[in-house]
Amino acid sequence: MNNHDVISTDVLIVGGGPSGLATAIELANKLEQKGVKKRIMLLEKGASIGSHILSGAVIRPKVFKDLLTTKEYDGIPFDSKVTTDVTVKLNDHSQMELPFHPPYMSNDGNYIASLAQVCKYLAGIAESKGVEIYTGFAVDDMLYNEEGKVAGVKTKDTGVDHHGEKQKNYQAGTVVEADITVLAEGTRGSLAKKVIERFNLDSGKNPQIYSLGVKEIWSVPEGNIEAGAVYHTFGYPLKDKSEFGGGFIYGLSDNRVALGLVVGLDYADPRFDTHAAMQIWKTHPYVSKFLEGGNIIEFGAKTLPEGGWNSIPKYYEDNLMIVGDSAGFLTTARLKGVHLAVRSGICAARTAMSAFEKGDTGKKTLAEYEERVNKSFIHKEMYPIRNMRAVMQDGMLLGGLKMGVQLVTGGTCLFVPKVHADADETQKLSEYQGVPFKERFSGKLEFDKKLTFDKVTDVFYSKAMHDEHQPVHLVVNHPDEFQLSNIEKYGLSEEAFCPAEVYELHIDKEGHKSLRLHAENCVHCKTCDIKSPNGGITWTTPYGGDGPEYNYM
Amino acid sequence: MALTIISLMKQVPLPSEMRMGDDGLMDRTKAKSIINVDCGYALEAGLQMKNDNPDAKLIVCSMGPPSFEESLKKALSLGYDEAYLLSDRRLGGSDTYATGLAISTMLKHLGYGKGLNEDFIIVAGRQTSDGDTAHVPSQVAENMHIPQATFIEVANLVDGKIEAKRIIEGGYQMMKLPLPCALSFTPTGISPRRATLSGAVKARNTEITVFNIDDVNLSDENIGLSGSPTIVAKVANIKSERAPIKMSEGHNESELVSSLIKNLKSGKNTIEVKEKKEKKEKKRPEGYEEVDFRNGASGILTWAEVVKGQISRPSLELLTPARELANQLEEGTKVVTLLIGKDIGHLAQELIAHGADEVVVVDDERLEEYRILPFASIFELVINDKNPEIALFAATTAGRELAPRIGVKVDGGVTADCTALEIGEHIDRKNKKIFAPILESRRPTYGESKLATILGFVCPQISTARAGTFEVPTPDANREGIITHFKPELSEENFVSEIIETVIGEGGLQNLFEADVIVSGGRGTVSDDMQLVKELATALNEQGINAEWASSRPVVDEGVAEYARQIGQTGKTVRPKVYVAIGISGAVQHIAGMKEAETIVAINSNAKESIFANADFGIVGEYQDVVPELIEKVKGGFTFGLEVK
Ligand SMILES: Cc1cc2nc3c(=O)[nH]c(=O)nc-3n(C[C@H](O)[C@H](O)[C@H](O)COP(=O)(O)OP(=O)(O)OC[C@H]3O[C@@H](n4cnc5c(N)ncnc54)[C@H](O)[C@@H]3O)c2cc1C
Ligand code: SF4
Repeated sequence: MNNHDVISTDVLIVGGGPSGLATAIELANKLEQKGVKKRIMLLEKGASIGSHILSGAVIRPKVFKDLLTTKEYDGIPFDSKVTTDVTVKLNDHSQMELPFHPPYMSNDGNYIASLAQVCKYLAGIAESKGVEIYTGFAVDDMLYNEEGKVAGVKTKDTGVDHHGEKQKNYQAGTVVEADITVLAEGTRGSLAKKVIERFNLDSGKNPQIYSLGVKEIWSVPEGNIEAGAVYHTFGYPLKDKSEFGGGFIYGLSDNRVALGLVVGLDYADPRFDTHAAMQIWKTHPYVSKFLEGGNIIEFGAKTLPEGGWNSIPKYYEDNLMIVGDSAGFLTTARLKGVHLAVRSGICAARTAMSAFEKGDTGKKTLAEYEERVNKSFIHKEMYPIRNMRAVMQDGMLLGGLKMGVQLVTGGTCLFVPKVHADADETQKLSEYQGVPFKERFSGKLEFDKKLTFDKVTDVFYSKAMHDEHQPVHLVVNHPDEFQLSNIEKYGLSEEAFCPAEVYELHIDKEGHKSLRLHAENCVHCKTCDIKSPNGGITWTTPYGGDGPEYNYM
Repeated sequence: MALTIISLMKQVPLPSEMRMGDDGLMDRTKAKSIINVDCGYALEAGLQMKNDNPDAKLIVCSMGPPSFEESLKKALSLGYDEAYLLSDRRLGGSDTYATGLAISTMLKHLGYGKGLNEDFIIVAGRQTSDGDTAHVPSQVAENMHIPQATFIEVANLVDGKIEAKRIIEGGYQMMKLPLPCALSFTPTGISPRRATLSGAVKARNTEITVFNIDDVNLSDENIGLSGSPTIVAKVANIKSERAPIKMSEGHNESELVSSLIKNLKSGKNTIEVKEKKEKKEKKRPEGYEEVDFRNGASGILTWAEVVKGQISRPSLELLTPARELANQLEEGTKVVTLLIGKDIGHLAQELIAHGADEVVVVDDERLEEYRILPFASIFELVINDKNPEIALFAATTAGRELAPRIGVKVDGGVTADCTALEIGEHIDRKNKKIFAPILESRRPTYGESKLATILGFVCPQISTARAGTFEVPTPDANREGIITHFKPELSEENFVSEIIETVIGEGGLQNLFEADVIVSGGRGTVSDDMQLVKELATALNEQGINAEWASSRPVVDEGVAEYARQIGQTGKTVRPKVYVAIGISGAVQHIAGMKEAETIVAINSNAKESIFANADFGIVGEYQDVVPELIEKVKGGFTFGLEVK
């Protein structure tokens, strides 16, 4: 690659979420203990650490004790300790509280937190240990050596216009050569996707499947909710069997509420709209009572990998490890990934240390990463419920029953339905037999801009921003096929599923349909990369620093 | 000595967050900070010069609190070699005059501007988004005694001289300047680059040098409040008077346009205007000493800018406040207008007809075109001679650079871009003094959300007045006045910068001030080079409506429209009966130039653009779909509710 500045480092970490930061901290600690000097660089596309981080989040804190010293641990800016923990089934207008917790859903000893804030804190610790963190840099390519092995990454070229022409302010991206590259990009990592494909890392595995979470933070009058209160809902407005998911409502300090709806992306209705479903969910009296008299302060959306153990690809190669959501470490039943992200980072860091000691960063040594994971609680938590998401396709009740069987039998289950990639589950307009989303909720799709919001208004509260002078970062892979199939046959399901109104179906006077893209709205949730029929859309990283500007998500 | 490129940079709150506070107003404490937009263009201009002069050293300088180090680091990561910050609590409260002095003192401390034969170029932003004065570059240049060019779009170093394209009303000018010199950049040139990772790695290891005022030998009398000739006396909120927009409804463009026509017929939404509370007449405190700080200075001096052999409209507008101020002051206070140019004597009578009592004519063939150095020198001589208490300039590109440079020459402060000028008094409760009479200069600030009143305590009190704010006075051909001729001695030094070429579009598009309908296109209309925008204006003309087309800044940046058609803070302020904003986002700078229109119609594909918060009628739709429909309707007789004369 000519004209690119080249820098080199021993370890390069892509992504400043919990997994990447844990890798950095643990490795810095280990290097310090052994008196070895190595350079650790971490690159994050968000303008700052936390800008692109969104989670629930109820966090299991224990793993942080393994990562941090007591003093460091005590400084973690958790928001509140969980005090109340309630799960309710919502019906159309009434609700029923479950007297017990579904297995794996108890939150004793856990904390509610803003993961963005926790990550900011972890970044400070990492920097104090000598880790070099650079924010506002999007990594958009992998680097391979002559043998075809991973050799580092390249940051995105900037100063290129819509049509790909170099402008006067063109700046070639920087090539970063690294002995070990750790991908910690979070859900549906775009580099992870490339290496998984290149090295066939997912062969023999289930396809990864995802959920989309749409979240808001509100400021509410005193007394609406207590800090530390945790409510989970299932049922309304989702349809049992065909739509998997539920809502969460967490009481934060300073009379704030974090709430959201998480929906499995394996639904069939091409018109299903998770953002709209979340708005409708908020109008249920059980939910709206928490928000009364309040106002929204932040909005965001993000997907999470829910395929479970059987969807985890091989997560190492020569000079490469994949950690956190990018590898699919998430306990589906609990909707929890932070502690697994951190644990996988610790495992990867220890493996890197071992590789440096042996002087070998090849896959033979890095295979230790897998051994460490298998010995850790990641395996312990994920393996027994490895079929959970698959059986949940039978609906919450029957699925729940099968889950119970799994728990007893250690995960074996006789009737495990086959898992398909989410995009393949979407049906064409003509095939879909159910009542279309818009009809199901007709009359409920007018948003009052007080309790409920249209997408554009919500996007305003994500502070998403993208420089217009750059190639559109949402790539339509095969424009002709997209027109014929995605638009004509699926009615542009992207318009429905994108929570940020990036995709618009335009119909002119003659009835001609076309796609209009508003890339500047994108909140980097990655749904389109996952759910677009025929793999119609590839999400690529826009310029570093662009995108949402989350604060307390 | 090798060439040094010195970039002056300020850190400001993110403009888009300036409106994010609870009350819709800027909250500085929460706002994220960025490099001031114009300064970003200056940084880029410096980097571009380095491309052609690889040996040049790039340094970046700033004055402000320690938090500015963040932006200095950013500049280093873009490719700057050294960074300097002048940071001292005692600098707090400095106005632009004191800031210009402090920055130039720092530069001199670094070894520049000591009158040696040095090769350096100062590049600065035209103005800052949180101050908007555009003064500092001029003031630094005057303090360093070097030539300057402001409002530059692109500049190249060719054979040891700077060749620069300067934006002026209605067009541009190509200039040539010797080194050293100071340039200020508009945000219309080459967009600032993004930092590279390798640059950021380098910046991480580069130290920023931080000075306090003692380090650079700056005495605290010359800075902060005591070194500032002006103070901000009051800041009031500007309340929007626009009622909520009426949005068109429909499933396709023809329904949307029909809905617009229906809405226009039914009229705008209205808001109840709350009865203003009777302002209590403030009691004048007793026992205070009354101070007339004018020390014998008297009269109002204005500048008559000549463009293409004619007095520019903003200079005639200026005679309105000048006359009013003279009337508010002692009897016999005179309005004196300075007219500089070549063969311009015959224009003097026109100024008298518009309200000047005396016109001082400087006729010199070298002064055919405006140039800052000789003009500033002439002003200095005339001010010394006439000793006026107030000096007013139209806030044109020339006026906005000339006023601050003159300010430094006469040790006075300048208030930029005023929209109201009045005579008042200042009550200093601490020292029990009343300063009167004093010029109260009011100017919108913080992205037009507030109105600040600025006072100056040195005569002449200098202000620039926003073009389009005041009406041109009705001329009285029989009015009498004095015409005097003045022949200053001007040394060759005043003429070191050359004007190579001046290019001005048709008459500076005066018709924009008179048109009943202005069809204005923004970035959303560049796809077809604004063809449909122009067609809509033409269709209206064919219906017998005086319509003109205009644009927002990005379109001018892209070269699709000439600068003369730019509406907004840095372009024209217009007040047509109907303003049709198509594909315009509605940046505050643009709103500033059109918000006085009687009716505003906004068409934009993005419903969240702020133009909709500033319009009476709106259509959310695509340019290429909606506008043809609208043109059809106009051809069928629709004239936005205006009567055909
Ligand atoms: C709605 C929702 C609710 C959740 N609730 C909980 C909960 O209650 N408890 C819990 O434990 N877990 C929860 N999770 C899951 C948890 O948030 C994730 O498992 C966890 O954040 C994963 O951490 P990570 O480090 O792998 O990725 P992330 O946290 O996603 O961080 C990845 C980072 O990498 C950056 N990045 C990505 N690509 C690039 C690139 N190419 N170049 C540069 N930077 C890049 C991103 O900007 C991001 O900052 C929830 C998730 C969602 C979406
Ligand atoms: S464009 Fe794709 S990644 Fe961006 S917000 Fe929409 S669905 Fe999410």
